[in-house]
Amino acid sequence: MTAALHAEWTKLRTVAGPLWLLLGAIAATVALSAATASVVTCGSAGCGGDTARLSLIGVQLGQAPVAVLAVLVIGGEYGTGMIRTTLTATPRRVTALTAKAVTLTGVVVAAGTVAVLGSLLAGRLILPARGFTDAHGHPALSLADGPTLRAAAGSILYLALIALLSLGVATILRDSATGIGVVLGLLYLFPVLAQVIGDPHWQRLVQRAGPGAGLAVQATTGVRGLPIGPWAGLGVTAGWAAAALVAAALFLHNRDA
Amino acid sequence: MSAAGIVVAGLRKRYGAVLALDGMSFSVRPGVVTGFVGPNGAGKSTTMRVILGLDAVDEGTALINGKPYRGLRRPLNHVGSLLDAAALHPGRTGRAHLLWLARSQGLAARRVDHVIELVGLASVARRRAGGYSLGMRQRLGIAAALLGDPSVVMLDEPFNGMDPDGIVWMRGFLRSLAAQGRAVLVSSHLMSEMQDTAGHLVVAGRGRAIADAAVADLIAAASGDRVAVRTPAVPHARSVLTYAGATVASTRENDGITVSGLPADRIVTLLGRSGVPFSEVSAHRATLEDAYLELTREAVEFRAVTPTEVSR
Repeated sequence: MTAALHAEWTKLRTVAGPLWLLLGAIAATVALSAATASVVTCGSAGCGGDTARLSLIGVQLGQAPVAVLAVLVIGGEYGTGMIRTTLTATPRRVTALTAKAVTLTGVVVAAGTVAVLGSLLAGRLILPARGFTDAHGHPALSLADGPTLRAAAGSILYLALIALLSLGVATILRDSATGIGVVLGLLYLFPVLAQVIGDPHWQRLVQRAGPGAGLAVQATTGVRGLPIGPWAGLGVTAGWAAAALVAAALFLHNRDA
Repeated sequence: MSAAGIVVAGLRKRYGAVLALDGMSFSVRPGVVTGFVGPNGAGKSTTMRVILGLDAVDEGTALINGKPYRGLRRPLNHVGSLLDAAALHPGRTGRAHLLWLARSQGLAARRVDHVIELVGLASVARRRAGGYSLGMRQRLGIAAALLGDPSVVMLDEPFNGMDPDGIVWMRGFLRSLAAQGRAVLVSSHLMSEMQDTAGHLVVAGRGRAIADAAVADLIAAASGDRVAVRTPAVPHARSVLTYAGATVASTRENDGITVSGLPADRIVTLLGRSGVPFSEVSAHRATLEDAYLELTREAVEFRAVTPTEVSR
């Protein structure tokens, strides 16, 4: 296992793509968060709103490059045929997949931490100027605040789970383009679907069931009114990731390479 | 039976309606280059993938040094293989490609530089593999196969895309690997390469081994006891030799015949005694290509189809 991990890490660091995608994920996350914080306003009468969630909104964009990276980690090998070399070097296929999953989780958690902290910092710097001040009931964002810490740590975990879901989907489909299409579809179509559904019961169900439900972990206020609770939402995303990985392991183990 | 090398026994595999392997059996012994030849669809690549544990079979076993591939710990230290030289990330350097493979087996980076030297890629090792010619990729693939200093080496079509210099190098290299006591299995459709390189030949056809013999024996069998005779008096020679009990066949040249059933010295005596002029009497020696074509004539899967078959 150590050797397989070492091999996967060497693969990741010896091509330019993964680094650029991780930097892209950080840039996209922080940029969207900062831009959103710059356009909201809180009048003198005070305002509602969830400043932590607002500051972390960029995760919704940053998850796309993370998903692409995760799909390419194995989809790229299916594209060139290098997967056969990988499985010749590591014939225990579940070990090979696990090594990919662990390495991927490591780099996504590292990049996700930078992205999340950058977003919170941007929010902390920009929001007071937009009227989100202590006087209006919005103390400066701080990780010392329990719900904010949950939102931050949860967002990092969410990105890691999206990466694992994408790795699983790409392993099942054995193709990068299809894999990216399916994963982005799952991430962005569920919210759209929820919007167009008229029936409130079904709407809530769709909001709870999609892999993006984990973004509920970013909520720090009004948690009771959400379609799904913070940890429960992250649990749904974890369920998607686990299902995809288990199916991927079964397919990988039983199919001809 | 020695367990060293590769032993393939009774492999059977069906892909839907196609029977890809139908009782494929042969062994690859240490110290000799074994050529693995056969027409397209004969099952060569499938067999190699099965040996490497990439494809599962419905029946049969493939063992390397007595063990199934998936049971080998750090397998590249036992078997080095090259299936597809193009299976590389184009953005990774040749050296980095070998480095991740070395890491996967717990091997030091020192081995990487050693095999790079061995295959003559030192000058381009730090360039992206996407810019390599097919010949350079083949060399990189050979380097990868030798990373773990394995006792068994298996290469699928390593001559593909090589320039003449590369082909000469590859022949010598394969022979030297065998001379070091390794078991070497090389698939190729270039019979002439096998004649100069392989000591043993496995001919595949329709999913099984239709011949498994030393190259010298195969050539001797295909040569038969035929003698080529060159003479300006073909009809006269024909009647003299037929009278003596030989079977005479014409050749493409109109001053040549092929004689079977009589040894060359007897033919010389008979022709001389009868006053038939001749310029050459020589034992007919088949090429490996002849032997191969004779063996696979029955087994060729993709023959040209007739128009009626197409329109059906």
